[in-house]
Amino acid sequence: MTVSVPTAAEQKPVVRRARRRTSINLVVGGVLFGVIVTVAVLSLFALPYEPSDTTGGRLQPPSGEHWAGTDRLGRDLFTQLMIGARLAMLTGLGSVAIAAVVGVVVGLVAATAGRWIDDALSSLLDIAIAFPTLLLAMLVVAWRGASLDSAILAIGLAGSAVIARLTRVTASRVLAQEFVKASRTSGTGTLRLIRLHVLPNVWPTLIVPLALQFGGAVVAEASLSYVGLGSPPPNASWGRMLQEAQSTVLVAPSAAILPGLLLVATIIGVNLLADGLRDVADPAGRSIR
Amino acid sequence: MITRHHRNRLTATLAAATASLLVLAGCAGGAGSTGAAPDANAEIIVGSQNEPTNLDQIFGGSSGVTEVFTGNVYEGLFRITDDAEVEPLLAAETEVSEDGLTYTFTLQDATFHSGAPLTAEAVKYSLERFIGEESIAARKSQLSVIDTVTAVDDKTVEVTLSSKSISFTYNLGYVWIVNPEAGDLTAAADGTGPYSLGDYRKGDSITLEVNDDYWGDAPANGGVVYQYYADPTALNNALVTGAVDLVTSQSNPDSLAEFESGDYEIIEGTSTTKELLAFNDRVAPFDDVNVRKAVYSAIDREQLLDAIWDGRGQLIGSMVPPSEPWYLDLADNNPYDPELSADLLADAGYADGFSFTIDTPDSGVHSTVAEFLQTELAKVGVTVDINIITDDEWYEKVYTDHDFEATLQGHVNDRDINFYGNPDFYWGYDDAEVQGWLAEAEQADSTEQQTELITQVNQKISDDAASVWLYLNPQLRIVRDGITGVPENGLNSLFYVYDIQEA
Repeated sequence: MTVSVPTAAEQKPVVRRARRRTSINLVVGGVLFGVIVTVAVLSLFALPYEPSDTTGGRLQPPSGEHWAGTDRLGRDLFTQLMIGARLAMLTGLGSVAIAAVVGVVVGLVAATAGRWIDDALSSLLDIAIAFPTLLLAMLVVAWRGASLDSAILAIGLAGSAVIARLTRVTASRVLAQEFVKASRTSGTGTLRLIRLHVLPNVWPTLIVPLALQFGGAVVAEASLSYVGLGSPPPNASWGRMLQEAQSTVLVAPSAAILPGLLLVATIIGVNLLADGLRDVADPAGRSIR
Repeated sequence: MITRHHRNRLTATLAAATASLLVLAGCAGGAGSTGAAPDANAEIIVGSQNEPTNLDQIFGGSSGVTEVFTGNVYEGLFRITDDAEVEPLLAAETEVSEDGLTYTFTLQDATFHSGAPLTAEAVKYSLERFIGEESIAARKSQLSVIDTVTAVDDKTVEVTLSSKSISFTYNLGYVWIVNPEAGDLTAAADGTGPYSLGDYRKGDSITLEVNDDYWGDAPANGGVVYQYYADPTALNNALVTGAVDLVTSQSNPDSLAEFESGDYEIIEGTSTTKELLAFNDRVAPFDDVNVRKAVYSAIDREQLLDAIWDGRGQLIGSMVPPSEPWYLDLADNNPYDPELSADLLADAGYADGFSFTIDTPDSGVHSTVAEFLQTELAKVGVTVDINIITDDEWYEKVYTDHDFEATLQGHVNDRDINFYGNPDFYWGYDDAEVQGWLAEAEQADSTEQQTELITQVNQKISDDAASVWLYLNPQLRIVRDGITGVPENGLNSLFYVYDIQEA
């Protein structure tokens, strides 16, 4: 997320180069992410095998019958990978939605409330940002029990702090502008001000961080599932697949490599997409960050 | 994060593989120099994952403490051999009174590592300590039949029992005779065994040094170091790189592949670890024999054993492994037969199935087993919910509070069929006949009579499907080439190291 500040003399060519890179990032990211989304959607309608079908034989290598091989219990791994894609998308969307809603509300409250509340909230946000996602997730799991919902909630809450801080900064800046002050003096209420002027300015600045959080959320859920705190069996989260494949990595490497590759593809896809979006939405590094 | 972790693991594995190639190359270069005489001064490095939590068996030092100390540093009045036979050790002679209630032991001329002689007082102290109030030793309740212990003279001990106990000497095989003057034994040791405790580094290693004043035969090696690893992969890598000479217990059949070459020997013995789907026999629907039998017959255990152990281990049909005298081949007593299962369910009034929760400890293979059971039972219309819990939660919720429907657990103890005679045990199997036979067996005059009675119990609990005994774990040890004398069987974690030698 580094933004180079070009000197006036070089500004023009740099911007043009940035534009060209933009399209490549967007295309590659879009394709990678698109494939995963497609697989996730497909898994809702058709799966090559029943997830609980154990007739495939123990630790079979990839073949025409089982494209990704089978696990110890003889279940088809390609089926599990498809379900894993669905769980990953669910995790990403769910936690990003939570982060967005909670983050924007808290950020707006901080920006519009009085100084004391603002200071208090800002300090809290600083603490929350410093708090490791996985630690928070473990607390949530201890409270609600291990499930996909708990994981999504925890990851979403952890991500909301950054969103809240961004929202607060942008919102304060917008509220300090002359035309907003003018509008306020002429009697416009705070809520209406937020709806008319603040939110339209806040959303564009949040798209990129939220997209990045999507990737982070997928990794975080995989980590949680890997240590047994994510979605419980028999849900085939990629993290759980990795954990189960770990003990058989020498005899059946594909069972460990494939979920890993899909994770990497998802994260690279989302990050490239986010980069591309930033360049499109924010070509001059629009003074917010 | 996950990917990095995973990559590290891969890197480690690749590194290990490379290392093993190098070792192979080295061996090839030095071929022809085999057949060297055993080296009685060689130090043997044992790799294990089973580190004791403390060094005293009466304070819950776990099975890890047995693996290191029993028979090696401490000795009992009797020794249990690798074939589960009882033979005299510190008790040179034993006399049993007519009524079977008084045992008189004459002690060996042995000395403790500190130099103090083995006395009748030390035996009295050790036995009383084992069944004393603060002891939480595993066999405390069985040995609580001890009524009085008297030191008749320096070398003679008289023990009276409150009731006859045919397995008394067997149980004594697990009780250490310690020096009463030694004080706190949780981080120190003073026994009569062939080794004394050397260096103890908690979390890392325990060193055993040869006891030059040992009363019996000197060990075949020059000392033993137990090196502990938390992670099975790290343990395997240690063996590959030569950091350890052998691995006491390998729980993952899929990592055996790299040791199947000529440079290692894989020893498969019988363990006493049984994987159980234990019902709460007190609550509906599992208070109904037909339901329990229906669940048993719905499970293709052969496929499960193959999935978990890849052809190793064996199927059992009751709590008794083949190494115990009252073993019967009951593996097909509740056969895999989904139709039979459906009929039994219909008889019990559950033609449309039912649903239940399996409390599944998050350790070991239990969650994989649970998923398999879920699949198998779904075929006969029974819905299984899997509730993953920690070992601590298991101990509280299942073992102590009996608040469960069914659970998965590995039962490691030998001769633990007597749990079925205790209606207050966590699974709550309550059968008056079984309780009677087990009590009678303990009072038996001869081992034949004892064996006959417990064999009856064995048959009955199997007929009742008191639990589902899924399979018996194999005991897998991996030994580097050139190391011999490693005990085969994993009888309750006993691991005598004195015969291990390096050629």
